[in-house]
Amino acid sequence: MESVIKIEHINKEFKILKKREGLKGSIKDLFSRDYSTLKAVNDISMEIMPGEMVGYLGPNGAGKSTTIKMMTGILKPTSGKIIVNGKVPYTNRTQNAEDIGVVFGQRTQLWWALPVIESFNILKEIYRIDKKTYQDNLEYFDALIGAGELYQKTVRQMSLGQRTLCDILASFLHNPSVVFLDEPTIGLDVSMKSKIRELIRALNKEKGTTVILTTHDMGDVDALCSRIVIIDKGKMIYDNSIEKLRSFFGDYRTVKLKFNKKEEVMQTEALEKEAEDLQSFLKSQFKGAKSLSASVDDKWISVLLKEDEVHMMKVINCIQEKKKIRDMTLEEISTESVIKKIYEGDIQ
Amino acid sequence: MSETRPSFVRKYLALTKASMMESLAFRTSIFVTILGNLVYLIMIYFLWQAIYASSPTPIVNGMTFYDTMVYLVLAAAMFNFLECFIVWSLGRDFQSGQIVVSLTKPIDYQVFTFFAVLGQYIMAFLTTFLPTFIIVCLMTKGGVPLGINLIFLVISMVFSVIINFCVDFFVGVICFYTQSIWGINVMKEVVVALLSGAAIPLAFFPAVLRKIIRFLPFHAIYNTPLQILTDESLTLTNYLEMLINQVFWVVLMIGITRIFWNASKKFITVNGG
Amino acid sequence: MEKQNKSLKKGLRFYMHLYRMILIQDLKSKMSYRADFIISTIGMILTNLSGFAAFWILFRNFPSIKGWSYHEILFLYGFSLLAITPVQCFFDNNWSIYRMVYTGDFIKYCFRPVNLFFYFISEVFDIKGVGQFIFGVGVLAYAWNKLRIPCTPIYLFVLLMSVLSASLFMISLMNLAAATGFWIMGSAYVMIFAFKFKDYARYPITIFNPVFRFIFTFIIPIAFVAYYPSLFLVRADEVPLLTYLSPILGIMFFYLSYKVWMKGAMSYSGTGS
Repeated sequence: MESVIKIEHINKEFKILKKREGLKGSIKDLFSRDYSTLKAVNDISMEIMPGEMVGYLGPNGAGKSTTIKMMTGILKPTSGKIIVNGKVPYTNRTQNAEDIGVVFGQRTQLWWALPVIESFNILKEIYRIDKKTYQDNLEYFDALIGAGELYQKTVRQMSLGQRTLCDILASFLHNPSVVFLDEPTIGLDVSMKSKIRELIRALNKEKGTTVILTTHDMGDVDALCSRIVIIDKGKMIYDNSIEKLRSFFGDYRTVKLKFNKKEEVMQTEALEKEAEDLQSFLKSQFKGAKSLSASVDDKWISVLLKEDEVHMMKVINCIQEKKKIRDMTLEEISTESVIKKIYEGDIQ
Repeated sequence: MSETRPSFVRKYLALTKASMMESLAFRTSIFVTILGNLVYLIMIYFLWQAIYASSPTPIVNGMTFYDTMVYLVLAAAMFNFLECFIVWSLGRDFQSGQIVVSLTKPIDYQVFTFFAVLGQYIMAFLTTFLPTFIIVCLMTKGGVPLGINLIFLVISMVFSVIINFCVDFFVGVICFYTQSIWGINVMKEVVVALLSGAAIPLAFFPAVLRKIIRFLPFHAIYNTPLQILTDESLTLTNYLEMLINQVFWVVLMIGITRIFWNASKKFITVNGG
Repeated sequence: MEKQNKSLKKGLRFYMHLYRMILIQDLKSKMSYRADFIISTIGMILTNLSGFAAFWILFRNFPSIKGWSYHEILFLYGFSLLAITPVQCFFDNNWSIYRMVYTGDFIKYCFRPVNLFFYFISEVFDIKGVGQFIFGVGVLAYAWNKLRIPCTPIYLFVLLMSVLSASLFMISLMNLAAATGFWIMGSAYVMIFAFKFKDYARYPITIFNPVFRFIFTFIIPIAFVAYYPSLFLVRADEVPLLTYLSPILGIMFFYLSYKVWMKGAMSYSGTGS
């Protein structure tokens, strides 16, 4: 099968202005300016197959949106090559745009003062969707999540969740082969989040649309993506399945502990102090265990350890001797902590 | 009260400083503004030169070409420094509901707005009015009387800034009720530009119109300081009379905007913005 | 895939149809903000009235300018109002570029499979311009009658053509001014200045000295917004070559402004996040 997106060694550089501090600095900036070059994207390559759902992750400013802009054709890479749907997106932006859909979590692309259906009607013309496909899609969306009752509602009167939902539907209206979703669940409540995720999953499965999803919400990743790509400081640091990543961290265990009696409510500062003490105590006990750490997690103190460095039972016994453990749970490492560890540069 | 005074002032001056820095950050806009002003002044110059050339007498309504030019150039410079888009920013604050956030802050919104734009006023004064003024003085080689009137000019311009701010603030609050920023703002702009004497010196207006204008605050924004600066025939009593007239408008406008704002504030808190 | 069957080329008919669709949607949106619509219309009328008042006050004091009679200048005045109608009605969205660039909302226009300039501009139809158009027609008809210009189909056709070419210059000027917003943060100033030019475009270019006549003809071509194109009608006996060339120059200038606009949009969408 041929890939739908193919990226080969792309780079993108920007010139950025260095600002001076204070009122004096502002006056100096008037007359002379310092520029420096920023490598926003640094030698990234990847290939995405039709129907894949890829989580595109990275901390803020890692170069995610720059890459997406290059894939959508509104930005030209400094060097390297991109092929989307067999075309070079930045040499023919409008042609490329026929076959992709884009959603920005916070920015609606719908007509603010009109019912959604009016926006859809315009999109029908813009993308030259034929009548049948258009009607079929409207009915399909209705059957899928009951979107029909939203069609006549004015966009500005919608909740953020409803608006996002409609924005996503709008991006699938012309049956694009690739859809880029930028933080689709940002700012939504739990139930709306899961509704949006269901929608995305269904559209991806049933229409076979390739979805590139950027997000900071690991819930999105867990629920939707089988493959993740992580970039940081413009460089790609991971590109593989999420299971592999987890199994790589399979040796990690999280032990959650409570020392105080149930009735007692501990202050957060006190808890943090306790976790800190515990961490230095454990570090002194198990000198070789680099990954060993303790932190506060809600009302719990959570201890992270790696089995091949030190056995979990040993750690628990050691703590038991020092303090009375009132409550305890065991957990595998969450995606959230895996990603956090990668961002923090703990893993190569 | 007396103990809190220094920190009170500092709090507001910090706002002023921040807005000064913000306007400096837009370097190009400063240069563009200066260049644009220059082109604009050139057009005014040639237009009026042609107008006077076609006139049978060199003095029209007591003003020579020279007087008219100095008046109009400085009026244009003043217009640029007094236009700080307060109506727009207030209007957007109201529309976006940002106003509710501002109301929760422990500072008076009107005073807050004033000090926040004061930095812009100061920067615009330094970048547009002052250079224009110096150029006009040099070019006319003593055509602009420089003496005791400068002191009165400075006082008068402070009053102008306050009156202008009150008009802008008043109009800005109207936007809260109308949901129309462009319409309200454009009305204000044309009314102020025409009736304040910023576009055409009030001396050229028909007598009836001039009488009506006396009962409106707008002439105190442009015509008063410009007349103080350009009219050599004024006596000390004239200056004082004009300043008192401005003070009257300052007090009245502050009073009116306070009442209007306080009423609107109630409306906002009741209706939830 | 069925998509391949569709011709990739999007012709004029496609764009015309799309334009009508988007325009109708915009009008529907406008209707839902009725108060704003009414106030904006009043504001527009007031702007024109005050512009006319300034004009009238000026000519009360001076009977003619450089050999141009009151009615001739009035003709230019009406003509310029017609010439700026298209830019007001159809290209009003240019005014929101600098804000959309600031908030980052502009990016949403970049993902559609249609021409970016077209898509962005088509989004807003400003109906307020219609009031100005009617006012302009009134002024022009009055001056036309007073100047005893014959009212034959040929003359009306000449009027239509010259208004259209004049409007191209205003559109292009505003396109260029708006495009600066892609490179300069907060460049509303540029647009305000460019738009102010229209107030001076309504005087004969002969009031300027040769240097500025050149500048306002070839560099900032405001002389084409009323003066050159209208010479056909006002002074049929002294029509210069530039008058004949104005349609072609207008198209060329528009094309240039379009290219600059697109370049700006592309360079912006790459940087802003």
